[in-house]
Amino acid sequence: MTVDDWAAGATIAGLPIPSEPDLVRMRADRHARLQQNLEAQGLDGLVLLGCSSVAYATGADGPGEDSGRAGLFRAVAVVVRGADAPHLYTPYWDAAPPELPADHLHGPLFPDVEDGIGELVEALGQLFSPGSRLGVDEQTHPMLRALGGYEWSEARDVLGPAKLTKTPDEVSCIRTGQRITELAMDATRDTLRPGLRQTDLSGTFLRRVFELGATANAIDPIWQVMTPTRAAGPWTSHGDLAYPTSTTDAILREGDVIWVDAGISHHGYASDYGRTWLTSAKPVPTQRQVSQFERWRTVVDAALAICKPGVTGLELGRAAIAANDGIKPWIEHFYLAHGVGTDSAEMPLIGTDLGEGFDESLVMVPGMVLVFEPVIWDEGAAGYRSEDIVAITDDGWVPLSGTRYDPFEVTR
Amino acid sequence: MTLGTMALEDSARVDFTRLRAQRRQRLLEGMEGAGLDAVVLGRSGNVRYASGARQLWRSGTFPFAPVCVVVGDTQRVHLLSVWDEGIPPEISHDDLYGMFWNPAHLLAALAEIPGLDRARRLGTDSLTPFFSQVLPTVAPQAELADASGVLARARATKTPDEIACLTVAAALAEAGLSALEAALVPGVTERELLAVYDECVARMGAPTPPSESVAFATPRRGPVRFRNLARDRSVGDDELVVLSPGALYAGYEGGLARTRPAGATPPPGTADLAARCGRGLDALVGACRSGNTGADLYRAWEATGEPEPSIALAHGMGIGAEAPLIGFGRGAAASLTEGSVLSVQSWVTAEGTGGYLRRELVRLGTEGPELLTRGEGSQP
Repeated sequence: MTVDDWAAGATIAGLPIPSEPDLVRMRADRHARLQQNLEAQGLDGLVLLGCSSVAYATGADGPGEDSGRAGLFRAVAVVVRGADAPHLYTPYWDAAPPELPADHLHGPLFPDVEDGIGELVEALGQLFSPGSRLGVDEQTHPMLRALGGYEWSEARDVLGPAKLTKTPDEVSCIRTGQRITELAMDATRDTLRPGLRQTDLSGTFLRRVFELGATANAIDPIWQVMTPTRAAGPWTSHGDLAYPTSTTDAILREGDVIWVDAGISHHGYASDYGRTWLTSAKPVPTQRQVSQFERWRTVVDAALAICKPGVTGLELGRAAIAANDGIKPWIEHFYLAHGVGTDSAEMPLIGTDLGEGFDESLVMVPGMVLVFEPVIWDEGAAGYRSEDIVAITDDGWVPLSGTRYDPFEVTR
Repeated sequence: MTLGTMALEDSARVDFTRLRAQRRQRLLEGMEGAGLDAVVLGRSGNVRYASGARQLWRSGTFPFAPVCVVVGDTQRVHLLSVWDEGIPPEISHDDLYGMFWNPAHLLAALAEIPGLDRARRLGTDSLTPFFSQVLPTVAPQAELADASGVLARARATKTPDEIACLTVAAALAEAGLSALEAALVPGVTERELLAVYDECVARMGAPTPPSESVAFATPRRGPVRFRNLARDRSVGDDELVVLSPGALYAGYEGGLARTRPAGATPPPGTADLAARCGRGLDALVGACRSGNTGADLYRAWEATGEPEPSIALAHGMGIGAEAPLIGFGRGAAASLTEGSVLSVQSWVTAEGTGGYLRRELVRLGTEGPELLTRGEGSQP
């Protein structure tokens, strides 16, 4: 799929953002980043079990799977400091990237299974000497019993800094996945009318994303009907909104306000679509709903107006709060903005319970990706929520999400 | 009357209150038997088993985090959830703890769970270096222990309500198969087949496929390998196509696989290949008897003369794929217990013809194996 010149000459660290990602270059750049961070952390290697970490380290494209299956038949990635390529151990040989050297593509390991641990011990023994310092993202009990001869630490100390900023190819990859998601959502929104079930919307959306070329679906799509008041919605521990609650076969009714949230995986990268829809064959927002949308737009625009390299997360948060008359425009358990990459929510996280000191330490640099998802709550009339995605560029930002907010229109 | 996803006013379908109570009882008994005072669970399947909560489904695996805590003393189940929607009524608001990005806040919430501070053995289903270090701070007297075996044993044998859930899931998967068969024509792509399947199960109310690996064409020429990722290549009219839909109902996974020619005329050798596949499947299903071990499945397969396949012969099924894994040289010692459910599959290939897969869901009953999926040519 080609998306013409959407980046309009924007650069990250002097490099143009391509309209389509060069996947081989993208994976090589990621490997180089992991190597740099292994060096910086003084670690000898990484042993990775989680899907998003394996996808980042190796470029392996798995089919979407339930966690039970994805755990029993998991891919494992091993990165050796100083090596040219990662090792991938997988039951899904056809999911390996084509450029991975044949001697780096191995049959599966079963770190969750007691009588599978011998092969993992052997595989690591061939790559690392006893006492090596290794980063790991999960340790199963068989691993804990069998692999005591290494010094283990958190893999996120290496993955975190590597993933914090994206290369131009990664940004392009996110943009393409986002475009697929948006086109599928346009088709889904066209079907919305009273009498459909939430799961009917899922059906249309999932069919369309695969027809459009998605690698995998990442999350059960959310079509939450928002009650007019907080109290009419589910009980919450903090008194703020419950969101996102999971989809059922609930029947949608005329006028239902739906907060949509969904994401696919495109070559390992999560997309993130958030919009507010109104259930009706001919949805026409009320003036109050239009005001909610305009308030939301004002909040995002206020943050985007100052968004560029050097700005802190705290400054972005304060701009958003000021634009909302001093009221924090996001849900208590979430954030004003989060990053997106091989995880659907990753650093930088702005406005969380990590606190203002943390937000102040988050300085925007080119290559960061931000998903702004403020919430405008209008007690008595539900509220408005959408998500705008941008990538920080050398001199500002470039949008990665589209500009349709139907049935709302941007008037300014 | 149990087969259906909607609630009926006479409560004719799955009794979920009973299902959850029996699961919780099994888990608590297992904990007691293993000397675990409390368990901290992170794996989605384990969390669902212990809590019965309907939480947001995400594809794939995520590193361990304390999502669910079960305390033996109090018999209470505590869950990471900001809201009560999707949370069963026996888990009270007091039993819910919030979602935090700051680990200090999470640990503070865990420290407030009644009885955790008295635990002497604290089981987990997995760990990370970080949680190995900090979990002892919320249970200062406890040594960390392995709870994965306790969970696996509790989950292995299914109650009648669990079997009902698995059967509903199998029926949903069979609906997916019908949709795939209807869409299978020469020229369709694997990705289009995946799209059709996904829409079908979603419209039946089950929009979270256990696997998106549901259709692949096998080549007429050259070596035949099992594939997992959907491709954009069109299916040729002389190709055999593997269709392997699954579905989830209340967390329980059902699934089956069939192989169909894309066009009107199957490739030469199809009848022989189908017969080989059928013999393999019959041999495996026949070995699914309580008292047997994984080695009996290996022996049954070897006796057919087929080479060891590149995929598992069988694995447990319940809340998703689970232990035992019998295949890839593993699981020979695994004992097959009465009341457990296995996904059993036969994969055979022939150069010049293609590949042939059949997969069934088998319950290990008192009298022997019982198919939960409607088998090829089986009568109801």
